[in-house]
Amino acid sequence: MKSYRILAYALFLALTTSCSLFEIDNFEEPKETIKGAVVDVKTGEPVLTEHNGNGIRVRLTELSYGENVEHNPDFYCREDGTYQNTKIFEGNYNVRIDGPFIPLYREDQDGNLIEDCTVTTDIKGVCTVNFEVQPFLKVEFVGEPSVSDGQIKTRIMVTRATTVEEFKEKVEPMGGYQDYFTNVTDVRLFVSYSSTVNSVNKYEPWCSYIEYKGNSFDSQFGKAISLSSSGTLLSGSKVFVRAAARINYDTPVGSGTRRYNFSEVKEVYVP
Amino acid sequence: MKKIFLQLCLLFAAVSCVSLDIPPKDIITDDQLLTNEAGMKIYMARLYSRMPFEDFKYIAANGFSGQSWTSGLGYEGTGESVYRDSWSSSFTGETTGLGGNAADPWWGSAFSLIREANHLIETLPEYKDNFTDLIYNDFIGQGYFVRAYSYTQMARRFGGVPIVKKEFKYPFEDDIEVARSSEKDTWDAILEDYDTAIEHLGASSTFANTANKYVALAFKAEAMLYAGCVAKYNENVTGRLTGLGEKTGVRVIGFAADEWQACSNKYFAEAYKAAKEVIESGQYSLYMKSWKEGDKEAQYKNMNDMWRDLTSPENMLVQHYEYPNLTHGLDAYNSPWIYRSPLSAGSCPTEDFLELFDGFERDADGSIKTTDGGKVNGVPQGHYILYDKPMDFFANVEPRLRAYVIFPGDVFKTDEIEIRMGIYRGSEPISPVRDYYDYSHRGTFYNHQSNYSSEIGNYTESNKDELTLYMDTNEHTVKVEYTDAKTGEKVSSWASGANGPFLHNAEATMTGLYLRKYLDPDRTKDDIGEGKSDQPFILMRYADVLLAAAEAAVELSIAGQPSPCNDDMLQVATEAIQAIQTRAGANVITEKLAGTEASRNLVRKERRKELAFEHKSKWDIRRWRVIDEDNRGYFWGEYKDPSTYGDGSHFAFRGIYPFYSIESGKWFFDISFENRKTYGYSAVDYYFAVPGGEVVKSKYIDQQPNR
Repeated sequence: MKSYRILAYALFLALTTSCSLFEIDNFEEPKETIKGAVVDVKTGEPVLTEHNGNGIRVRLTELSYGENVEHNPDFYCREDGTYQNTKIFEGNYNVRIDGPFIPLYREDQDGNLIEDCTVTTDIKGVCTVNFEVQPFLKVEFVGEPSVSDGQIKTRIMVTRATTVEEFKEKVEPMGGYQDYFTNVTDVRLFVSYSSTVNSVNKYEPWCSYIEYKGNSFDSQFGKAISLSSSGTLLSGSKVFVRAAARINYDTPVGSGTRRYNFSEVKEVYVP
Repeated sequence: MKKIFLQLCLLFAAVSCVSLDIPPKDIITDDQLLTNEAGMKIYMARLYSRMPFEDFKYIAANGFSGQSWTSGLGYEGTGESVYRDSWSSSFTGETTGLGGNAADPWWGSAFSLIREANHLIETLPEYKDNFTDLIYNDFIGQGYFVRAYSYTQMARRFGGVPIVKKEFKYPFEDDIEVARSSEKDTWDAILEDYDTAIEHLGASSTFANTANKYVALAFKAEAMLYAGCVAKYNENVTGRLTGLGEKTGVRVIGFAADEWQACSNKYFAEAYKAAKEVIESGQYSLYMKSWKEGDKEAQYKNMNDMWRDLTSPENMLVQHYEYPNLTHGLDAYNSPWIYRSPLSAGSCPTEDFLELFDGFERDADGSIKTTDGGKVNGVPQGHYILYDKPMDFFANVEPRLRAYVIFPGDVFKTDEIEIRMGIYRGSEPISPVRDYYDYSHRGTFYNHQSNYSSEIGNYTESNKDELTLYMDTNEHTVKVEYTDAKTGEKVSSWASGANGPFLHNAEATMTGLYLRKYLDPDRTKDDIGEGKSDQPFILMRYADVLLAAAEAAVELSIAGQPSPCNDDMLQVATEAIQAIQTRAGANVITEKLAGTEASRNLVRKERRKELAFEHKSKWDIRRWRVIDEDNRGYFWGEYKDPSTYGDGSHFAFRGIYPFYSIESGKWFFDISFENRKTYGYSAVDYYFAVPGGEVVKSKYIDQQPNR
């Protein structure tokens, strides 16, 4: 009987020591930081966007796993065109952004690389990667929005940040080029109680938009377009407005998502 | 003690030299299965039980989970119906994993099934002598049919997929990984498999409820219609929907600019040929057993009965259920509130769906008329039209719709289904009760309208005299006392109907309507429950074939192609549509269809109507590429301005809400957006993401290039 007991002890000991019992089985948390800004290559101004799936997408792909690797979960730029992620594992990454500007990574219809302006870098500590891009449009308010009878009146100016010729030069080699790609399709005014107003975060009854068929917008470039909010805003409230416009071209190609170029956010008090 | 131990050791040592390499008794071998019909029946049963059929046990957001919990019909963003919970969302993937179940996006288990089909195709020839030629050919044909359908279901989801046409045998000698083929090659492989199946299958199958030649033809038509549309309508998607795989450089989604037109023509021609062969065979016909010319009641009854009549000449392939062996829970989740056990109102049909049907009074903009002043920018003007009873509103509606949807006040089982949004106490005539009717104000429901004070529905003793619109927040919360205008009697009634809608409870109808199609009208309340229903699901019926023939014919005509059967295909298309409309009791077209967009839309609309609540429309709107923001105008088959039901990124559907007016004792209807559900869709969703694990672990498997 005693031998059984000894055997049991021995067995217990053998089992408990077999897996590094006293070591903490834990992986170091990711704590490297990547940050940067997306700016217009011509003017150095930030490319304004929205912080959701329709905005500028930042895609990191860690390359040390070899060629067969899934990219990290995507994240998106802030409204002001900057981005930051402080929870990155140390490693060698490809950083690619897609948004309302000429694609940084371009290949033709047969998959041959035309140009790759994405950035490959080691991320350790705080790593800053800025991008200079060619945004499609520049959208700005002309003067301050005014309010009368619970309605916000704004004047919006849209200009091409990249000329049709520049766009064509870069995009045409990708194949399937159409002249309508550069047409502006709609100009929008987003209104919200929140300062992070954008195409998703908005109060629909107050928003408004103008759609343009074909190239009918071409005569409007550089001119002030009047666009007023819809409905009646509550007196005494403080709201935020933002204008946006987009062209008939999706980024990244094939996604079918046409992303907006945005104006800055304006705070409006409704008397 | 030691001696015994030693002897034991010896004993074991002595017997261990017997060969253990014998076939295990618990594994059934080819010799047992493939040599006789009884074994083959087992093989077939297994193949068919693992087929990716979308029936009562399928929820789009959840994939093939094999269980029916909260399943309904048409609520996956098709607009046919809405359902309160999160898995009523646009068909953008099958990985929601409802209830913590491992979701199967039909990739991994697809290859298990394909392997079993491949095994049959490769191994059965060794046992050919055990069967007559007819039966042997049928079994081989089944193998090809199973493989073809499995691949169709993959291609509809992912575009190009790895094509495996042989069984890899253990132990694997070399690299067994197969990269994704191009989408074109995938559809071509599917076409080839269907054709081989059709070649082998007989006019009737050896075992009941498996495919025969015509069933395979019907599914081929369905698949080729999908392929033809994808080739053609990818071109409509902003940026042309196509791309090359990152690892292989293969065109895993879409078609090249110089090949899409030819491919599309070829696939449409194949679809037409297949459908035409079924039509010409005369083996099937539309269900007209109790149909009578000009008798709406008989036509309604006819279409109401056909879902449960197993002798229907329209049924081509049917998924059978049998209590208690194989059951589902359709009635438990989708019945009206009064039959609630344990849930109800799983599929609430929408007003937008109703709008497709004939027999409603219309305003100038084509929408259903509820007021006498028409509509301005979608806002009803003037005063509500009053009806003696709710069913008067639906008096002339086409019988097919009545067989699909339970209207307020119509009879279901033995009960009148009382549906009432609320009771109006105020003077008549009545102006529209809502402040706004547009999409952006859909969240402001009837209890927050400025004309009626914000207290509407929150009945208290102190404010009861101010209220003009009473509504229940939940079942039996607001009591209204009034004098019946017709009988002069004192009435004490709950504000909302016995079946809702209730302001704060979405487990009664959310739209003012209930699903009727496929529900069992003979099942008593006590007999409704989870896993108690056993009505069959019709996976393929003849009407689908007629619609496929019509659509393919019109598409071919638009492309300027001649008929692949040397016939007047537009005449065939016209007669197909007329037959379906006649049976449905709808307005029948008198003009011959043409190769125009108008004819195409007419065929599409008919398809949207006829095949609603059958898990088919979600594929139709997907292959037509009409769900994303830039193409949503044709979501309903015919054109409908998308800004009237969405804001671009999202869209929503309407309900039709009946109210009772105390003054005259009459009813009126208000149409407005159902306030809880919105749906979204981007163009990337036309191809589902390949499961991430498959991409990461493989050197070859490409993720979708546009993701």
